[in-house]
Amino acid sequence: MRRFVAPLIVAALIAAAFPSASLVAQTAAPGAAQASAKSSVPRASDGKPDLTGVWQAGSTARGSWEEANSGTGLGGTGKNPSAPAVLSASDRPATAEKAPYQPWAAQRVLESYKNRGVDDPAVNCLPPGVPRTSILGLYPTQIVQTPQQIVILYEQMHEHRIIPLNAKHPDDLVPAYMGDSVGHWEGDTLVVDVTGFNDRTWLVGTGTFHSDALHVTERYTRVDKDQINYDITMEDPNVLTKPWIMHTNLMLREGTRLQEYVCAENNLAPAFYERIEKNGVNFRRP
Amino acid sequence: MKHNPWALLAAMTLLAIPLAAHHSFGLEYDSNKPITLTGVVTKIEWTNPHSYVQIDVKDDKGNVSSWRFEGYGPGVLYRTGWKRDVSMKPGDTVTVKGWRARDGTNWGHSREITLASGQKLFFGPPAGTGDGGSAPAVEAK
Repeated sequence: MRRFVAPLIVAALIAAAFPSASLVAQTAAPGAAQASAKSSVPRASDGKPDLTGVWQAGSTARGSWEEANSGTGLGGTGKNPSAPAVLSASDRPATAEKAPYQPWAAQRVLESYKNRGVDDPAVNCLPPGVPRTSILGLYPTQIVQTPQQIVILYEQMHEHRIIPLNAKHPDDLVPAYMGDSVGHWEGDTLVVDVTGFNDRTWLVGTGTFHSDALHVTERYTRVDKDQINYDITMEDPNVLTKPWIMHTNLMLREGTRLQEYVCAENNLAPAFYERIEKNGVNFRRP
Repeated sequence: MKHNPWALLAAMTLLAIPLAAHHSFGLEYDSNKPITLTGVVTKIEWTNPHSYVQIDVKDDKGNVSSWRFEGYGPGVLYRTGWKRDVSMKPGDTVTVKGWRARDGTNWGHSREITLASGQKLFFGPPAGTGDGGSAPAVEAK
């Protein structure tokens, strides 16, 4: 019976965290299938789910990078040039709730949108922050897990996060682009608390600014060999009216290696922006 | 019929999430100005955050003009099947599909390149990537 408990605990945790998911808890019943799903989750030496591996965010496709990104294409990385245009990190997912910004802040977000993200801080090769970095699907993410800490490496911008487990945030945090992360296990879910942000990154989508009061809570649940459910709660009482919640996942990409990404190598965009603004080229949305 | 809580959980958490270019497409390029050019490769920059290919294009009168097209950085290109210094080399005749820059210069963003071998490979993201998509993140008022 014990082996059936974990999925129910996770369901209950998610239902508690996200009321809209309560249907899951009501309809979930133990069976043979979830037992095999649970048994297919690799375990670390300490018995925790092992998140170690190279992953692709924002995908639901199983298989290698090549297999998962071929066919009709994903994010323009596929092999079919007629694949429909897909969302970028500066786009709000169509199925996601609107960002719950306070009215004055919503106006500022809208202004960025109308100006096609001309004020995007990442264009200068600055770190995109959390979760903007962690939901990117175009670049792989590598997780390295030990019983004491978890390290996440992002190909894009060469970003990294070191997440000590069962630790407290330092008292003397200096505001940082990627914030300060500490983690702990709640059953089979890794919960990461991120604070200590500066106010120079976007959350998800063009113009989605925040203050240095931003607090992000991430939940990573490896539900089978191939998939981590990745749930994000963003709180910022200075600009939001309520927590902004997102659900996505990370898919295992065996065989993929992180490549070098030196953003300052040949970054022509800022000069281009300056040139078209100086020359009065109209790029604003109608 | 037995319910599978993992499948239900997975279904509840499905969400189309973001992929990214490094910067806004729509600010620099005009999706209403598609362009397809065939020319000879003169220079390739396999660089981050974006790669560039330069081609010499000859018009009907024999006049040659140089065009520069932007695409993904080398890491993304590697994962989409590009082999650096093998797939495309200076001197190759290629056909580049993309969109023109808003400033009207010989500059563009390339979605796809047809190589000298006839093989077609993605070189950059689709039009509209990176500038907020079809709707802002907030209610528009």
